[in-house]
Amino acid sequence: MRQTPDLSDVPIFEHLDEDERAEFEELSEPVRFEAGQMIFEEGAPEERLYVITSGTVEVYKSVLPGRRQRLATIEAPSVVGEMGLLTEPRAAASVEAITMVEAHGVGRDRLLEMLDADDPAACKLVYEIGRTLAERMAATNETVAEVIFRLENTAGRSEDIDVFRDQLIQDWSF
Amino acid sequence: MEETLQGIRFFEFLTEEEREEFAEASELVSFGPGENIIEEGADQESLFVLVSGAVEVRKGLPGGRSRLLAEIDASRGRTVVGERGLLGESGASATVMALGEVEAIRIPRDTFRRMVAEGRPAAFKLSYRIARTLARRLTRLDEEVVEAIRELENRGETDMEAFRDRLITDWSV
Repeated sequence: MRQTPDLSDVPIFEHLDEDERAEFEELSEPVRFEAGQMIFEEGAPEERLYVITSGTVEVYKSVLPGRRQRLATIEAPSVVGEMGLLTEPRAAASVEAITMVEAHGVGRDRLLEMLDADDPAACKLVYEIGRTLAERMAATNETVAEVIFRLENTAGRSEDIDVFRDQLIQDWSF
Repeated sequence: MEETLQGIRFFEFLTEEEREEFAEASELVSFGPGENIIEEGADQESLFVLVSGAVEVRKGLPGGRSRLLAEIDASRGRTVVGERGLLGESGASATVMALGEVEAIRIPRDTFRRMVAEGRPAAFKLSYRIARTLARRLTRLDEEVVEAIRELENRGETDMEAFRDRLITDWSV
């Protein structure tokens, strides 16, 4: 039988020591999703952070009516639900198990309490999540720059575009 | 230095002791007109809290041109630039240039990471705050990019499919 990877194999847990990882194992509960099962549904609550230790999930979003746009295929080890933890507990995209998926689920409220109490394990975890977000922001900046230039070069320019561009820039982290 | 930090809204989330820790970890720096605080493409490794003065943010275009993205005045609104550099490794995605005399508090990445390695709560509080800011902005940017794609498709752009696929490959949830 294949060994299920434990938390130390998940990159964002790498810098936690044994005790801190054990603390998480304690808090979390093992969950299993069958292939085809939804882990998060776009627009629905996202109240848990899942540390995926085996299997593959697909992330998608309805970009155009009636069409689902695949955003990413994520393989274990990985984490989903971190955006819900740090922003609103509402899923911005859908996450579906496309193979059998094994994960540890941790409640968002519990994690937020730990963060408020400066719990070292939770703090380290969020630091690592922050590092992944910083890299993602770098990529998103390039995307946004392209979108802006493209909108500006497209037919039917209007003031709307300026407003839109100003909005995008507000949210940029250089 | 400590006094400077006291008055800055950005540091309000820290306790007095933690502010002192950051006061030790940071330095007051000044820039003259036309001087770059952050340079696009270069290693972006410090967070700057603008204390006084104004800056402009520019993004390079193909062909050596650049375009103005924003002007930021320290006396109103957002005053922090470079927060991504404390956590990430990628180079700066825009250039931030002083328009006149600018004073800023600089927190270098090295110092910050040393604080993290030492397990100092102040450093973790700052990273939690930055992570939340990044997450909030990313969520909004993602929504806005989706809006932009819809808009472009409505205008009958033809090669949208390839463009769309390329744009949204680096998503996480």
